[in-house]
Amino acid sequence: MTRLSGCLIDRSKTLRFTFNGRSLTGHPGDTLASALLANGIQLVGRGFKYHRPRGIFTAGSEEPNALVTLHDGARSEPNTRATMVELFDGLQARSQNHAGSLKHDLLAVNDLFAPFFAAGFYYKTFMWPKAFWEKLYEPAIRKAAGLGSLSGLPDPSTYDRGFLHPDLLVIGGGAAGLAAALCAGRAGAQVVLADEDFRLGGRLLAEGGLLDGRPATDWVAEVEAELESLPNVRVLNRTTVFGSFDHGIYGAVERVSEHLADPGSRVRQTLWRITATRTVLAAGAIERHIPFRDNDRPGVMLAGAIRAYANRWGVSGQGRAGAPVAIFTNNDDGHRSAAQLAAKGVPVLGVIDPRDDAPNLGGYDTLAGAVITGTRGRHGITGIEVTRNGRAEWRDCGLLGVSGGWNPNVHLASHHRGRPVWDDARLAFLPGPNGPAGLIPAGAARGAGSTTAALADGVRAATTALEALGRTATSLDLPQAEAEPQAQAAFWHVPGKGRAWVDFQNDVTVKDIALAHQENMRPVEHLKRWTTLGMATDQGKTANVTSLAVMAELTGKTIPETGTTIFRPPYTPVSMGVLGGGDSGKHFRPTRLTPTHHWAEAQGAIFTEVGQWMRAQYYPQAGETHWRQSVDREALAVRADVGLCDVTTLGKIDVQGRDAGEFLNRVYSNMMGTLKVGRVRYGLMLREDGHAYDDGTCARMAENHYVVTTTTANAGLVYNRMEFARQCLWPDLDVTTISTTDAWAQIAVAGPKSRELLGRVVDEFDLSNEGFPFMACAELTVCGGLRARLFRISFSGELAFEIAVPARYGQALMERLMAAGSDLGVTPYGTEALGVLRIEKGHAAGAELNGQTTAAMLGLGRMVSAKKDSIGAVMSRREGLANERRRLVGLMPVDDSAPVVSGAHLFTDGDAHTLDTDQGWVTSACYSPHLGAMIGLGFLEDGDTRLDEVIVAANPLEGTSAQLRVVSAHFIDPEGDRLRD
Amino acid sequence: MTELIPITALGAAAAQSLRLGRLTIRDLPDLALASLSMPSEGQASSGLGLTLPGPGRWTSGTDVAAFWTGPGQWMIEGPGLAETDFASLIAAKIPGVAVTEQTDGFAGFAVEGPRIDRLLERLINLPTAATAPGCATRTGLHHMSVFVIRETAEKVVLLAMRSMAGTLWDILKNTAEQKIEEEQ
Repeated sequence: MTRLSGCLIDRSKTLRFTFNGRSLTGHPGDTLASALLANGIQLVGRGFKYHRPRGIFTAGSEEPNALVTLHDGARSEPNTRATMVELFDGLQARSQNHAGSLKHDLLAVNDLFAPFFAAGFYYKTFMWPKAFWEKLYEPAIRKAAGLGSLSGLPDPSTYDRGFLHPDLLVIGGGAAGLAAALCAGRAGAQVVLADEDFRLGGRLLAEGGLLDGRPATDWVAEVEAELESLPNVRVLNRTTVFGSFDHGIYGAVERVSEHLADPGSRVRQTLWRITATRTVLAAGAIERHIPFRDNDRPGVMLAGAIRAYANRWGVSGQGRAGAPVAIFTNNDDGHRSAAQLAAKGVPVLGVIDPRDDAPNLGGYDTLAGAVITGTRGRHGITGIEVTRNGRAEWRDCGLLGVSGGWNPNVHLASHHRGRPVWDDARLAFLPGPNGPAGLIPAGAARGAGSTTAALADGVRAATTALEALGRTATSLDLPQAEAEPQAQAAFWHVPGKGRAWVDFQNDVTVKDIALAHQENMRPVEHLKRWTTLGMATDQGKTANVTSLAVMAELTGKTIPETGTTIFRPPYTPVSMGVLGGGDSGKHFRPTRLTPTHHWAEAQGAIFTEVGQWMRAQYYPQAGETHWRQSVDREALAVRADVGLCDVTTLGKIDVQGRDAGEFLNRVYSNMMGTLKVGRVRYGLMLREDGHAYDDGTCARMAENHYVVTTTTANAGLVYNRMEFARQCLWPDLDVTTISTTDAWAQIAVAGPKSRELLGRVVDEFDLSNEGFPFMACAELTVCGGLRARLFRISFSGELAFEIAVPARYGQALMERLMAAGSDLGVTPYGTEALGVLRIEKGHAAGAELNGQTTAAMLGLGRMVSAKKDSIGAVMSRREGLANERRRLVGLMPVDDSAPVVSGAHLFTDGDAHTLDTDQGWVTSACYSPHLGAMIGLGFLEDGDTRLDEVIVAANPLEGTSAQLRVVSAHFIDPEGDRLRD
Repeated sequence: MTELIPITALGAAAAQSLRLGRLTIRDLPDLALASLSMPSEGQASSGLGLTLPGPGRWTSGTDVAAFWTGPGQWMIEGPGLAETDFASLIAAKIPGVAVTEQTDGFAGFAVEGPRIDRLLERLINLPTAATAPGCATRTGLHHMSVFVIRETAEKVVLLAMRSMAGTLWDILKNTAEQKIEEEQ
């Protein structure tokens, strides 16, 4: 179709795109919607429930109908509003929610059964049988009624995030927003102007009016240029502010590369978190329609949208070239569309206006006191029925604009449970007084919708914001706009037979609202749920107020008495991908690497995630085809010769100060202040409620200097709690704590030959049992002067040490130990072997310290000192915990070949497997290469008195059970001779 | 001097440097760090040749620099001193305070070039006033806890846990590349 003159597209360039596979053209500056209309396409989709043909209804983000799917394959993006898609060369779009072609949708049969699909029909129809809901009803409904479909493939797009902290956030780049941004920008405030369009100007681009006698776009260009020149002003185009959150924080999505034919490596969208001291909401207004019979046909459009398509995109919008355009309106603004179309040479049938005193702005006929009572046209409007003084007449029509007035865009002002307030003069809800703090509505969003009023109101809002910011606004020479008549009548719908749509996206009609009323679903929240009005992607932007008016009419109440539903973010749909802010894939969370990671990688280690850490799980050797072979070999090597394991991940906390000993006495359940310098003690920490929560060692390096180690899992937690205790519980103590986990690479050197191996790297240090006994610690040097810390502690139960050096030397030390111990059979071992060794020794780990166990359960009851107080000590003696009789035991299968399953529950042999007879559970299990069978640790009722008893471990999830013998938890060296050797 | 050869937090033999547009990103393996805690505030600190800064601030002396980390607590930086026993050096200069070696507790990265704020706004949720030259603060960056030290208008140093150095390097690189892509 030929475009109209004087629009804002670049006609010198042609863009090619496809819709449902059909090749079409448009121009830079087009949206997909404007380009489709320019190509004479009115039918773009199907209705949600009845699958009736649907067309483009609006020219903005409020679009309820024209939802399309963009792109193919993994990039496929359903439910995209055609009105918001910036056209680019190669764009592929297709319609959705139909079976067969768009024109011949097989599901259109639903329309014949419309009487059955009235409001609440789900709730009435699919009540029974209950089991059918998930398996039959819901899948069938989802298939028949709905929107587009996801590809089901991983999203290949990338996203990122950003943070802005302006003095003033201006939401909306129309007349009010531009005036506000300019005013605040000139005053020196840090300003962010966010506008969801790809071009600044808002309705100024759509109205075709003059400012100071020149096209409004000239003024927009001048303001834009000045804003760009101000270093304190930031303009974010293509950016939708979707929500107001606590403390002046606004969420916004910038569409970074969606408009580019080749986005390259650019992110698709950016999530902006904007923390603003003050915010001006200049989000404009959304036109409402007037429901009448069959008002949902393609070619029925908001009158303001018709004006926008004509003025901005040069599109007249008829399905048939030259077909007359009609406007149905209850207000003067609708007449402007007719006048402007007529001025552009578009055939205008006239303006149908129910007001007897309807005006005429020139160039068209006014049918005063008339309404529209029906439409014709299968895939697009071909005729309208105009009823005047009781006489109906069918007229030829190719496009019908409807205007029922304008609703200020109060959405963001109504977050935080802000309630909009009804204004009788404007026949609209305005932002209420209890919206988000610091938010100042302006312009059409506050009911000041004429260009003159919006410009002035933008300055007023900015001035108010500047006062709060302690700045002074300078005067602004605002341009003079033309007069814009604003009169309107309270005319909400055309009563009559047939279906008149209120909410196009959810297929909710006036009849549905009447039914909800009849069925006593009258409160607005009930009305919404019963009819689904105002749900889904458009959230009823074009429907809500009209529905309230209809309900008010039915109940005999006023509109404000009828109320409004709660507004919540997001204002428009936000993709899940962008909410992640780019933290997906390997960026989902940070990865922590141990100091020997790269070395382990070179050895072919298999890694396992331990929280954020990547730890070597085992080191497969040539010929090993199963992980168990590697793990068995490593565990055997430790007990026979010597093994090396990077244990840097264990938390390390440096504790210093005159009161460090006293502080540690209070955080550990056992006595720590009596520890001698140069010695290490095993320690247990309790939670305030008396349960054990972490264990580890505490080394006294000097008189006022301790090094605490924690489990890997609780490194952060223990440090956090120690800091809390230091700062808040006992600020009077002279103590300071700081984490040094990452600062030191720590390597466990374990096995009977560990002393010999270490002797080859330490610088003149006495490692003998007398010189450096079990539980000793020292600062020393290794490998020719490198400062190090040595601890004689053992997790494996063997003679063992842990040696720490500055982390940068961790890899070199590991390499040196491996080289120095080659003749000793030195073997690196991973977390699997570490686990086997500690289970064989009966040492507790995370599975036993799970936050629900007590010191007594762990066999450590005596570690809760009665000679002093410590966190959790008193609560550990309460009845419920003191009477706890489950105890840590070792478990071995009666039949050597039987498995021991971690998580299995324990029962007395012969008892039923019920909760009442449950006697505990298996916490850890592994294959012990030393015992040639699986072994386990577990908590068993009175376990300490049941040695040698045969019990049953049941795994009801898999329907298995096995007989286990209760044994000591110390499978290896129960006397502890090896580690003291 | 030890026979062992250290590696950087990124696992390399030497510092890495990356030029992206007008930005340079490099790691700082030579930066020595020691945390310092005083039993009570206001104690003499002249031994370091600088006045220990107040909350949110960083200050540089002749050999060392310092930034505030908490009430009575600072991190002392020793550029080029990583191979020394830096904590002992500091402890010797200010007797009676708690000093802890942190050189390998953190990995340092310097980002240098114009318009650093445009990079920082993609990384950290702080107003520009909190990252102005002379400011130092601890904040979250992609689920990591980092120190952000704005030394000059065109230089910021980020300190993250050493074990997370690879993640931070990746993020800095990706973010800078993305910024350049968008600005082109």
